[in-house]
Amino acid sequence: MGLKKNAEGAGLHEVAVREYPRDLPGLLAQLADDDVAVRRWAARDLGEHPSAAPAVCARLVEEPDASVRAVLFSTAARLGGTAVVQGMIGLLRSEEPALRNGAIEVMAGLPTLVAPCIDALLQDADDDVRIFTVNLLGDLRHPQVPQWLKQVLWTEPQVNVVGAALEVLAEVGGADTLPALQAVRARFADDPYIGFSADLVAERIETA
Amino acid sequence: MKANLLASPLVISDADFQKFAEYFHRKTGIHFDDSKRYFVDKRLVERIEASGAGSFRAWFAGLRFDAAGTELQRVVNTMTVNETYFFREAYQFDCLVNNLLDEVVACKPPGSRLRIWSIPSSTGEEPYSIAIYLLERWPGIDRYDVEILSSDIDTQVLQAAQRGVYSQRSVAQLPQAYLRKYFTQTGADEFRISPDLVSAVDFSRVNLSEAADTRRFRDIDVIFCRNLLIYFDDVSRRVAAEALYDTLNPGGFICLGHSESMSRMSSLFTVRRFRDAMVYQKPLDA
Repeated sequence: MGLKKNAEGAGLHEVAVREYPRDLPGLLAQLADDDVAVRRWAARDLGEHPSAAPAVCARLVEEPDASVRAVLFSTAARLGGTAVVQGMIGLLRSEEPALRNGAIEVMAGLPTLVAPCIDALLQDADDDVRIFTVNLLGDLRHPQVPQWLKQVLWTEPQVNVVGAALEVLAEVGGADTLPALQAVRARFADDPYIGFSADLVAERIETA
Repeated sequence: MKANLLASPLVISDADFQKFAEYFHRKTGIHFDDSKRYFVDKRLVERIEASGAGSFRAWFAGLRFDAAGTELQRVVNTMTVNETYFFREAYQFDCLVNNLLDEVVACKPPGSRLRIWSIPSSTGEEPYSIAIYLLERWPGIDRYDVEILSSDIDTQVLQAAQRGVYSQRSVAQLPQAYLRKYFTQTGADEFRISPDLVSAVDFSRVNLSEAADTRRFRDIDVIFCRNLLIYFDDVSRRVAAEALYDTLNPGGFICLGHSESMSRMSSLFTVRRFRDAMVYQKPLDA
């Protein structure tokens, strides 16, 4: 017993012989395999197949295992593209927080592709989708983020969406945000939470 | 120097520091409190000047909205200390021999094999430290076979690791008894590690971001992956964490650097707090 180095090459396992071919149809078939490890490896290897994006997004809704889901999200992030963005926007409407949070994380990594969708998302009829969009703006590396957030302060009727925007503006807001802060304070004059948050953001901007 | 001082009025205000520290923490998990103020301010001023932004505000906006994340990567590199030496962050090796290995062998019969993977190997200080710890401080070494695998993306450091020659600075944290036992001084500032230790570690080149590289690694019981993932972008970090997950046996452990948090990379692992260290575990039922 003790420290032991295996004979040349024997220290590591050879790649296991797999039942399915590692091409696109084979990998897609494996996404429905009973074995979690097989599904996880298929989800990972699909990252080499850009045309798999719709199937990867669709599988996220059905996949019951958290570890496979995690890999599916990572693969979606690696693949990128408009199909992934559309798939993730669909997940923003999910009732499952894990799916929504995963979607936000993936979208945050695709700023150029996501940017053209932001205006429509901020106009969505569903309050929750607008809140999640503001959450997304908090992580989105895009120069238009402050502008979108100011737009929320000027026009958004729902208090929770405005509150979420103020949280993000506390970090990214500049002096040009001050008029919008005054306006939102006036629009929600009866809401102490908005007043407090707006003052906090203004204070941060003025002391920076 | 005087001219440079006169032309360098950049000052990081309290609000700037707070804004940066919050953002940096969110992105990397690395937390800077006021005690690190001098360290952080100095490097921020260097980055602002190097970027040509002219002010913290302009620089931070560039950092915040740079889609490629290039400046974030630069500031991460600036803010992290990239050095290695024997017995670095040794509390995790204490945890290895005091807790982790005993849990791992609890369900393995004597005589079976354990596998420990150190990545990145850098110039070998970490895998050799693990080997010394096992030989000196883990009684189970007499009852089990332990394989130590060590990998790096850089073939030059792998060659240096296999040469096994180190400076005084590199071995400074080693107890004198271990230095005498496992090293031969071959020069004023040169210590050669025992060939037995060199031959006990299986070095290999691995890019953690390449699925084809990591797929060969299976049945690992403990991974040391310290101060590597903080240099990755978000997606690469997550992909790497998931790849490490698949190399581990159920119940296997992963040790990250003291400033790294797996919780920020992946939800696949369970946090385990031991007396000596906090580590991450692949669930037993995975």
